[in-house]
Amino acid sequence: MNLTTFSFLLFCIITLLIYFIVPKKGQWFVLLLSSLYFLFYKDFNIGTLFYVLVIFLAAYFSAIFIDKYAHKKSAKWFLIGGIFLILSQLILLKYVNLFLVTINHIGSLFGQSINLEITPPAAPLGISYYSLIMISYIIDVYRGLCKPQKNPLKCALFMTYFPILTSGPFIRYPDMEKKLYTKHKFNYDNLCRGLIRILWGLFKILVISQRLGIIVDTVYQNYSTYSGLYIIMAVLFFTMQLYTNFSGSIDIIMGVSKIMGIELPENFHSPFFSRTITELWRNWHITLGAWLKDYVFYPLMKSNLIQKIGTKTKKLFGKKVSKKITLYISMLIMWILIGAWHSGEYKFIIGSGILQFIYMVFEDLLAPIVKKGCKKLRINPDSFGYKLYQCLRTYLLFSLAMIFFRASSVSNALEIIKNMFIFKPGFFTNIFNLGLNKANFVVLIFCLIILFIIEYLQIKEDVIEDLFTQNIVVRWILIYALIFAVLIFGMYGPKYDQTIFIYQQF
Amino acid sequence: MQKEEIYERLNEVFRDVFDDENIEVNENTTSADIEDWDSLEHINLIVAVENEFGIKFNMGEVTTMKNVGEMVEIIISRI
Repeated sequence: MNLTTFSFLLFCIITLLIYFIVPKKGQWFVLLLSSLYFLFYKDFNIGTLFYVLVIFLAAYFSAIFIDKYAHKKSAKWFLIGGIFLILSQLILLKYVNLFLVTINHIGSLFGQSINLEITPPAAPLGISYYSLIMISYIIDVYRGLCKPQKNPLKCALFMTYFPILTSGPFIRYPDMEKKLYTKHKFNYDNLCRGLIRILWGLFKILVISQRLGIIVDTVYQNYSTYSGLYIIMAVLFFTMQLYTNFSGSIDIIMGVSKIMGIELPENFHSPFFSRTITELWRNWHITLGAWLKDYVFYPLMKSNLIQKIGTKTKKLFGKKVSKKITLYISMLIMWILIGAWHSGEYKFIIGSGILQFIYMVFEDLLAPIVKKGCKKLRINPDSFGYKLYQCLRTYLLFSLAMIFFRASSVSNALEIIKNMFIFKPGFFTNIFNLGLNKANFVVLIFCLIILFIIEYLQIKEDVIEDLFTQNIVVRWILIYALIFAVLIFGMYGPKYDQTIFIYQQF
Repeated sequence: MQKEEIYERLNEVFRDVFDDENIEVNENTTSADIEDWDSLEHINLIVAVENEFGIKFNMGEVTTMKNVGEMVEIIISRI
């Protein structure tokens, strides 16, 4: 269900009405029914039901048995078994072709023409989200951070809670346990704050992301016609399109959940004011990064293998170098996984994985040199100019990597990068022929400026809370301005209904 | 082992991990008090503490430990 459609609005209104009308102890059950409807309404078939059930049963029973045999060796086997079953579903549905393509490539290196390819069944909605969520659930039970949920229906609600099925964020059971199953009274403040958050999300998606998407699509689909500056513009615009689309859908989700009194963890924190790629990733898709840190990176760094590598390299190269080597090995594995989480395609593994890793390694290695350079050249690293340079550089580097994300394949991305350096005259006269006329272009630039101002304010304060501290006149002027901006400048229409949310496909 | 001795040995570990001879930790010290104590260094610190005291933290403790005081309580319960 598309988050910006009338059917989603209707679905939310009905859910919220029933949620607040039924006796409070039955609220979680209403959420479960809505979530199951949301999950299955479009593709209810035996296949989808099977995948969802396997993941649910694997997580539900392994958590219960882990708790039953806590501190015994068998607990570990239930943990491994549960994770294996969930991951095997995910691999089967999303990564089989990645392995086959790899075999094909290896074959062609040796002059063998292998053309292995299968069409795996379509992955059910949200599988990349709830698979990881349920893995974290059983690991948290194993780590003693929470008790298993013995009521299977309540456990099913945690897995399928409808707001997170489209594009996250990743929730954790110890954090959600109390929020999901406790009684929630209707709260007018929550309603207002939730609605504003939803409006802000709609503004980002319908007014900004949609407009950016038109230009990006035109250039990416005709990259040999539109080379040079067109591609540079489309590359810079795509990062912003991705951000407004993804964070806008998170805003809508958070808003809906807020109205029900269920706070979800934030997934973004003004990422484009980050001075390094490392910092950017602390503010971008925060819950995925945190998930991988807790369940992949830390266990990896503590593993015997990495510790052994650390001991050996310490003897050979000293403490400092050894620390870097173990860190980089673990980081590389984690970044490949982040890339692969998006989809089983090499373009994601390169763009959202390996390239980000390379950036971070360079940042880490060059940091002492840059520090010395600044001192010598008497550049104040905290000056406005230097900070601006760092933010722009970070945006540029991130955008370059995102070419792989947007392109249809790795070779397509390389072609686009090549064409980026072929400059043709007439850019400024043709700029309004890319699908957006002058008026729409002006609206876009104006709204981007507003977005940046809000994002800047958001670094230090909660802008929605600030809005409610304003006097009634200012508050309502701003709220009406936002409503009218969405209504007047929002790009609706039949074409838009076909557009999917970028992060919904993962 | 007395608490004081644990803190003394912890100070050495912290100084070694963060390359700063001036570090002096107490039960309220958190990652916000030490400049380089980020999520990457956190795990290096954990491993160094484990090696120093010959103990193992479980991953739940690694991710939920809030300050040095909690770390010391876990160390005491293991040695």
